[in-house]
Amino acid sequence: MTSPRERPAWGAIVPFLLPATVFYLGLTAYPVIRTVWNSVHEVLPRREAYVGGAHYVELWADDTFWRAVRNTVTWALVAPFLEVSIALLLALALYARVPAARILRIAWFTPVLMSYVVVGIVWMWIYNYDWGAANAILRAVGLGHWAQPWLGTTDTALPALIVVTTWMWTGFNMVVLLAALHALPTEVIEAAELDRCGWGAKLTRVMVPLILPTILNLLVLSFVGKMKIFDLVWITTKGGPLWSTETVSTYVYKRAFEWSTFDLGYPSAIATVWFVIVMSFVAVLTWMVRRQQKLEY
Amino acid sequence: MATVTLDRLGKRYAGGGAPAVQDVTFEVAHGEFFVLLGPSGCGKSTTLRMIAGLEAITEGTLAIDGKRMNEVPARDRDIAMVFQSYALYPHMSVYDNMAFGLRRRAMPKAEIDRRVRVAAAILGLEPFLGRRPHALSGGQRQRVAVGRAIVRDPKVFLFDEPLSNLDAALRASTRQELIRLHRRLGATMIYVTHDQVEAMTMGDRICIMDHGRVAQIGAPLDVYRRPATTFVAGFLGSPPMNLLPATVADGRVRLGEATLTLPARVPEGPVTLGVRPEDLVPVPEGPLRGEVVAVEPLGAETILSLRLPGVERELMLRAGRSAPAGLGERIALVAPHDAIHLFDAATGCRLT
Amino acid sequence: MWGRVLARAAVMLVIVLWTMFAAGPFLWVATISLRTTSEFMAAPYALPETWRFDKFATAWTGSGYDTYFTNSILVVFSAVAIVTAVGAMAAHALARYRFPGNRLVYLLIFSTIVLPPQITVIALFQTLAKLGLYDTRVGLTLVYAAVQLPLTVYILESFFARIPADLFDAARIDGYSEWATFWKVAFPVAMPAIATVVILNTILLWNEFLYAVVLIADDARRTLPLGIQKFMGDQLEDYGMIATGLMIAIVPVVLIYAIFSEKLIQGMTAGAVK
Repeated sequence: MTSPRERPAWGAIVPFLLPATVFYLGLTAYPVIRTVWNSVHEVLPRREAYVGGAHYVELWADDTFWRAVRNTVTWALVAPFLEVSIALLLALALYARVPAARILRIAWFTPVLMSYVVVGIVWMWIYNYDWGAANAILRAVGLGHWAQPWLGTTDTALPALIVVTTWMWTGFNMVVLLAALHALPTEVIEAAELDRCGWGAKLTRVMVPLILPTILNLLVLSFVGKMKIFDLVWITTKGGPLWSTETVSTYVYKRAFEWSTFDLGYPSAIATVWFVIVMSFVAVLTWMVRRQQKLEY
Repeated sequence: MATVTLDRLGKRYAGGGAPAVQDVTFEVAHGEFFVLLGPSGCGKSTTLRMIAGLEAITEGTLAIDGKRMNEVPARDRDIAMVFQSYALYPHMSVYDNMAFGLRRRAMPKAEIDRRVRVAAAILGLEPFLGRRPHALSGGQRQRVAVGRAIVRDPKVFLFDEPLSNLDAALRASTRQELIRLHRRLGATMIYVTHDQVEAMTMGDRICIMDHGRVAQIGAPLDVYRRPATTFVAGFLGSPPMNLLPATVADGRVRLGEATLTLPARVPEGPVTLGVRPEDLVPVPEGPLRGEVVAVEPLGAETILSLRLPGVERELMLRAGRSAPAGLGERIALVAPHDAIHLFDAATGCRLT
Repeated sequence: MWGRVLARAAVMLVIVLWTMFAAGPFLWVATISLRTTSEFMAAPYALPETWRFDKFATAWTGSGYDTYFTNSILVVFSAVAIVTAVGAMAAHALARYRFPGNRLVYLLIFSTIVLPPQITVIALFQTLAKLGLYDTRVGLTLVYAAVQLPLTVYILESFFARIPADLFDAARIDGYSEWATFWKVAFPVAMPAIATVVILNTILLWNEFLYAVVLIADDARRTLPLGIQKFMGDQLEDYGMIATGLMIAIVPVVLIYAIFSEKLIQGMTAGAVK
């Protein structure tokens, strides 16, 4: 017999929550509010002036901003599907009882543990025109005419970076999917076998639908991660060449700390708009995933 | 040792709803083994937790040794409690589990050590003092939980269903151990259980609770022989007392088509007639005649189910090793006067 | 029969290719880190002829990596210590006590996990500048603790919520205050989860770049990721030495991962599997 938890003992609760509250209010909640406040002001080192919606109007006409939005959204839409679908393939490969599956699982997970700075530099070298691995392999298989400076060409820079995040995150997704596969009740799969389902049917009709909630969760997680991406771009291309890899994050950073405009109000307006967009996406996607899960069980 | 006095104790949770406990009044004497018995949700655990100080008292008073305890925090009530889940600290050795409560009390190390070793000796835990709880069997864990209470040498021991996580065989032997322990320590103990066997065998007195209220308090056999309500009558005994709708008229009880003489004077009208399965005796000309609809041979005894003409519920009969009648046969029974209990049909309270 | 063998072969091929793809870049950097730049330029994909471990000593003392490494250790370890204590206390309160607003606080913390960092980074810069904490390790440490707080509370809360309430009742009867019960019972019992968040936060902060690049300016206070970036900016062509620097950043992570791989995987994936 469990009785309900005791009524609030504020004397005990407050000391436990106080430090976290201070951290949260001071270094998370206040900065968010301050940024929103910034966005309707001109914020110069020694002067702050109310400008109303001027930054937002300017933003509407800012081609670079829209370019950054386009790049970021492309990244956030393409990468999740690449990561999760390759991850599913790999998870199924390991699920099929291959030797050394445990070690492979740990090994494939490794890239995600590396700093974007490290990853960025390594991949700049891989994409190096003269001696990078990408071109070296192309030349080795006789496709040398395809060789190019992958990060230096406007058409290929963004796809090249998407390859990098896919390289980084696929292992992570694979581990989660593998765990979901292993968590499936064996009776369900055995039942499918008794129903004379082939591997393909078993996969598409039984296993994938059962782990669909996990798949959706991973897609959302990957999507949100790409909406925030900064480090990798900053290390490799700084948004270039010709804005072709500019993301919202790098643009905010540039406008706040790189350009000599000194105004923190305008980048705050970008950040505010992006904050609203990301949070609404998350809210909608979470709601959709939840609804999906209700259908599943 | 101490007395524990509850005076109209009640518990009402914030947010409304029926009170979880109300009007619970009893006094546990020095050295008494007092059992709170009832089905789950009857309020017995909540009552125990209010005595422990784990649950705030919203109505009435609780006193230990005559001192009001309502506002005294658990740690200052000088009570010890054994939990159903044992609640052993998983990160501490058996020794530390027992010593944990003493260390808080700034007791000299040597005294702590002495007490832990004495308790371990009583409970046969000496070989396990260095082990963690997860390396113990269920029975051993249960004993550590008891040991943790013993070392404290508290005024009152509280037990919250301490045996319900043990398997049947272990439960019987642990029951005996706890009875011996009570004799040895002579301490005041309050014991919550839903198991009537535990209540009957261990308690000096039992208090049966129903829907947050006390239904009856008394020595186990008194309660068994003279249940105060149909609830108590139906809760104690296995199989439980037969409770059948009947009518009192013209100084007799009519039960379906059968008629019995009244054991005592009761007002006329509908009643609930109670008779224990073991009190029914087969005799050739008995007034209760019915057809056997089920036979359950249990080896040492046989349980028969009978259908009496005009009575909807079946009548259970406890017979000896061999059944007095086979399936589908008819049988006649009689019940001695003092084995017939009459209860008010509406309130369920005892009439005789 | 042949179909089965062929399928098996296809699976093995996928596995081998992906393993090469996933591990190749690291192995390559590892070889470069032991070779000089001229050796590397002569044959980018050759194994080191002489294993030049002395390059690590050179990078350590000559290129400021000792400073960067120490700064990273200082900032990351202090931030992890703070966020573990602060987060565990909050998680315990949310899991254990019922009080009005409990779920609201939890929801707020949860939604902060997905907060884009741009929304705070500008104002954090302003705030720290005002408090005199801009370009200090203390400032970065506090920000790091705040950044990892939501995830920490999220992971720990679900663990604390599984600690049976009886344990706390037992401690109460044993005479311990709520505060003492937390440190002597809840915290040690939650050690597996605590270890997970400690390892996870260590790795995530060890790799952190955005807040560091905004909040730190002086070379003497740079953390490793900043140091590597600066070194690469200064010595763009000295691939050999850059690779050595990368390895200095990678090795601690790989060591931690080698020892605690399962815990780290658990922590990283905690959010994804709910």
